[in-house]
Amino acid sequence: MIFVEKRTVEVDLEEVVVKYRPIVSFKVKKSLGTHTPDWEDVVNEIITQVIEKVKKNEFRGDSSIGTFIYTITTRRIVDFIRQKTKILKGIPEPVPLPDPCDDAESRERARVLAEAIKELKPKFKEVLNLYYYQELSREEVAQKLGISPRRVSERLNYAQKLLRKMVKQ
Amino acid sequence: MKKCQFEDHIDSYLLNKLEGEEKDIFEEHYFNCPKCFQKTHERDEIISAIKTRGVWIFKGETGPARRAFVPAFERVTTFFTPRQWATVATAAAILLVTVFGVLPQFRSSAPRFVLSEKDVVRGKTLSLISPVIDVKTAPAFFEWTELGGDVEYKIYVSNHGLLWTATTKDNKIAVPDEIRQLMTPGENYSWQVRAFSTKGTLIAVSSKVQFQLGPSE
Repeated sequence: MIFVEKRTVEVDLEEVVVKYRPIVSFKVKKSLGTHTPDWEDVVNEIITQVIEKVKKNEFRGDSSIGTFIYTITTRRIVDFIRQKTKILKGIPEPVPLPDPCDDAESRERARVLAEAIKELKPKFKEVLNLYYYQELSREEVAQKLGISPRRVSERLNYAQKLLRKMVKQ
Repeated sequence: MKKCQFEDHIDSYLLNKLEGEEKDIFEEHYFNCPKCFQKTHERDEIISAIKTRGVWIFKGETGPARRAFVPAFERVTTFFTPRQWATVATAAAILLVTVFGVLPQFRSSAPRFVLSEKDVVRGKTLSLISPVIDVKTAPAFFEWTELGGDVEYKIYVSNHGLLWTATTKDNKIAVPDEIRQLMTPGENYSWQVRAFSTKGTLIAVSSKVQFQLGPSE
């Protein structure tokens, strides 16, 4: 007779929910886009699944809790996309997607950030423009501005540091 | 503080440049690394703001080639309102027309002297005083206006050809007797004076005046 020892790991569910909800939300929004009205439902389903699985002792500590939640998240997203694809089959293409920052809080935050970026010195604005807006590589930006790629990274980092400060004020 | 090796992937991930396994590994990492997640989240907000409002943020910034010129140009163009610009442009146009169109009409230009068919010069006014009308006898001297300064005058007296030429620093010159004797009554003569600077530059030319020597009595 073979005995299988079922390991259990103590998990503080409340802490898990508080800590991982923003990360799960971020991943879901990134995968589905905030224009998908159901994205919050998907997040809630994932959190519920995590809680259920932990309660059923399905998390045995073979991986980190982060990896465990990541796996559940990606599977649920894949399921959601498959489900939506089935439903949408044969339906004409949807109208152009709305602004990704569609909730008021994100919109306001984006507005504040945009204004802060506009206030930056030209040398910082131009690296943000070329690197993030025009999506040139670091080397291409460096070549265009006549500076080293390392300098580009420094300017990007410093610009972000400045923006964090400006937004906090 | 040691930098996480995954930090370098944040931009690529947010700009959708990470694919397949690389993307999965990075995503799994930020589920396990709160610092990387926080940085990813913060940067995502910046990139989203840039992507959605880039046109407004970077308005008027076309690239590094014009980077010094653009802010200066923008400062100048936004210095006045369009109506003020229209007023400035009108005032500038009036000023230009006045300076280059109207004022030259009132300005006395230097006299134009025709030396020959080929030589035309502009210079100071040099007027001949005597003789300017017909004379009864050969003139004893020729006189003209003084220019002032260190000037040398050269007189040319012609009949059918050059009869006499001489140089002086005075504004008149006595005609030598032998030249006077050569002047025949009833003949037409012309004379002209040219003024030269000490360096020999022609600075003034008089008009050519004709006179007739009266018949002998």
